[in-house]
Amino acid sequence: MRTRKIKLMNLTSLARVSSLSTAFASRTLHRSITCRPISCSSVSHAPTSLKPKPPLFLRPLTFTATLSDLQKWQNWAKTLASSVGSSFTDLDNGPDSENLHRELNWLIEDALENPKSLLTLDDSKRDTVLQLRADLDELYSLWKQRIEKRKPFQYIVGCEHWRDLVLSVEEGVLIPRPETELIIDLVDDAIKQNQELKEGLWADLGTGSGAIAIGIGRILGDFGRVIATDLSPIAVQVASFNVNRYNLQDKISVKQGSWFDPLMEFEGRVAGIVSNPPYIPSGHIRGLQAEVGRHEPILALDGGEDGMSDLLHLCNGAALMLKPGGFFAFETNGEDQCLFLVDHMKTVHHNSFYNLKIIPDFAGIKRFVTGIRS
Amino acid sequence: MSSNILRRVYKRSSSILSRYQSISTLFVSPSDPQSIDFSTSIDTPRNYSPVFEFPSKDASGVSLLSNKRLNFSFGSSLNNTRLLFSTQAAVQPSTSDGLTVDAIVANQWAILDESENDWKSHASAIAQSIRLIKKRLQWEKLKVRLEILSFQLEKPDLWDDPVHAGKISREHGSLMGKMKEVNGLEQELLEHIDMIKLAREENDPDLESESVKALLKMRQNVKEKELEALLAGEHDSCSCYIEVQAGAGGTESMDWAGMVMQMYKLWAERRGYGVTIVDEMRGEIAGIKRATIKVDGEYAYGYAKAEVGAHRLVRISPFDAAKRRHTSFAAVAVTPILGDGSHHVNINESDLRIERYRSGGAGGQHANVTDSAVRITHIPTGITASCQNERSQHQNKASAMAVLQSRLDQREMARQAQMNSQYTQSLTDNSWGNQIRSYVLHPYRMVKDLRTNFEVSDPDSVLEGEIDDFILSFLTDSMDKENEV
Repeated sequence: MRTRKIKLMNLTSLARVSSLSTAFASRTLHRSITCRPISCSSVSHAPTSLKPKPPLFLRPLTFTATLSDLQKWQNWAKTLASSVGSSFTDLDNGPDSENLHRELNWLIEDALENPKSLLTLDDSKRDTVLQLRADLDELYSLWKQRIEKRKPFQYIVGCEHWRDLVLSVEEGVLIPRPETELIIDLVDDAIKQNQELKEGLWADLGTGSGAIAIGIGRILGDFGRVIATDLSPIAVQVASFNVNRYNLQDKISVKQGSWFDPLMEFEGRVAGIVSNPPYIPSGHIRGLQAEVGRHEPILALDGGEDGMSDLLHLCNGAALMLKPGGFFAFETNGEDQCLFLVDHMKTVHHNSFYNLKIIPDFAGIKRFVTGIRS
Repeated sequence: MSSNILRRVYKRSSSILSRYQSISTLFVSPSDPQSIDFSTSIDTPRNYSPVFEFPSKDASGVSLLSNKRLNFSFGSSLNNTRLLFSTQAAVQPSTSDGLTVDAIVANQWAILDESENDWKSHASAIAQSIRLIKKRLQWEKLKVRLEILSFQLEKPDLWDDPVHAGKISREHGSLMGKMKEVNGLEQELLEHIDMIKLAREENDPDLESESVKALLKMRQNVKEKELEALLAGEHDSCSCYIEVQAGAGGTESMDWAGMVMQMYKLWAERRGYGVTIVDEMRGEIAGIKRATIKVDGEYAYGYAKAEVGAHRLVRISPFDAAKRRHTSFAAVAVTPILGDGSHHVNINESDLRIERYRSGGAGGQHANVTDSAVRITHIPTGITASCQNERSQHQNKASAMAVLQSRLDQREMARQAQMNSQYTQSLTDNSWGNQIRSYVLHPYRMVKDLRTNFEVSDPDSVLEGEIDDFILSFLTDSMDKENEV
């Protein structure tokens, strides 16, 4: 059975990509129409909204509210969070009340200039006027969306804290996962082993918010460069915004296009390739946690029937694009995909790679495959 | 007249110098003609000569004593430099007519209110404070320790081990600083007294009132130094972690642990410290199973270490439908956050097990979670630390690492203290399980510290963070008890 799959992969060579990605894109559109509330889909997929919305914590303090009004909102929001109990967790492994209470505190941190005044209650200052980055009505609506629509918290505040970065995210862009943080450590280890890689060209394929590219851009040497690609125009916009915010525009270029397409000219010269491609088997998409399945872009999640389509494509591309000594790290769905990839590389790309490793995440799930081009 | 005063002032300070100089040279090279030249060249030591002889006798007596002690602790290796040092420390500075700080204390002049412009009262108060500071600094022990350190600093092979050498020289510098500070206080006091006497002789009321004012200022200043001397431990100035853990007894004791943690949060905020929750495991119904906060600010550890131990609550439990009286416990641990470079333990990356916890399911793209709790286990010791309150896994890991480092440092310091009994502090005896304080809400209302017997009858204010009096009474008590031994 495994050999059948490999043969299939061989046939679906690099050329397959563009037709496949358009198929994904159309599927995304289709889903967004059927599953999403109309109000959300109009924001995330309108091709005209090219300027990303700044995250809440970066917006100006244009609104005000009294402490007592804010406390009313806070108490309402707390009650709503408490009412969830463990029902989301039982349903689809979603957040419980404790998670939601913590998120509420973070929302307050992001929305207020001086969050301490609200977090440490002092009744004597009830009439104090506080400055806000969103008006009170919006805060009500945001928290309602969080609980009732299960909108991911990161889309509510427009940012995700990832490693030591704060990255802007919005609907249409995958929220970078904590597990993926480890890719930067893996790259860091690799460039410590081989200093040459530090000054080379790196590629982050399917960059989404730009997280991995920015993480790598910050540990490369003066001559090191990163090309970050993504098929989604929104992702390209958001990634560019994040790259600029960390002042890395001279080091990282964000290009729209499918996987290797935007960097074909560097064939055989790339020092490192990293990616967190879609790897969830299509059949699992329906049962996903509501925050993911209802709100995050399916383009970034659905990895085809066995979840391996894009991963295998990336492996084949890595054999072609990497220079000798070049490093790759890919995130996968778990042990099965890791083992399959390593086996694929050993058999199909015989002698092309060495030092192939499977590395677990902090939850103990075998998550990453890394290796070096011979 | 003013030139006369200047001359006299000059005489005063140079006479101290000359006294130190000549006594030390007496020991190092008694026949050196140059040193005699030096002391005689100074402007008229006429009226000092009797004083001059008295302390030199005294000095040799003390240095003999310390010789014995040194012989006891090190065998017989002695050299001149150390002798010189011990002599210097033993010289008692005095006023022009031979009044020493000890003599002022012995005179027992009445200490009046600060507003009374009585110089004797100020002087007496200052002298008493200086004596208390010396006691709190463990003056005699400190002198011996300084000699040991000076001896080690002179060893030619000291810098073969630069880490050890750095430690020795840092400790030497810090003890030396303390000693100089106290000597400076004594000298300042005596100089003020001399000025007052002089002003009276010269009939200069302006100078007199100025000097009395200076004494008053010093009296206030030295009061603060008394407090600082309570916090003279090596790590007292550090920030710290405070950890509270609920004892057995379910919801009632978890609620109590939550109240204790709240008490520390309010106390720290009141003192202007930064407070961050690092780790918190809530109880199912109320309170916390355990929690760790980071308290940022000068002397956070010095104060908070007085809270280590078990805290007991007696009340009618709001969680008991039968309204019975319950007794519950919460354990408090405090660890200092040492600065970079002063860690006692180097953590080996390969000794760590890093886990994401409270994560179920497939993870990765399947899950969207804002909870990225991390637990780190130091495998050789089994000590763990966790953090879940940061917004990224990376930051949670960094925070947990810092807590782990602090716990391992603490453990190592306790181990070293046990080995070196001279430096065992009574504070380290307060293990996690010792009951230190009792909070009674029913049938009467009282909070009582079982170590000092200090008590207050208003538990609410204590639970709102007013614990400074408990801390200070404990620090004072333990210091003063310890130094009597």
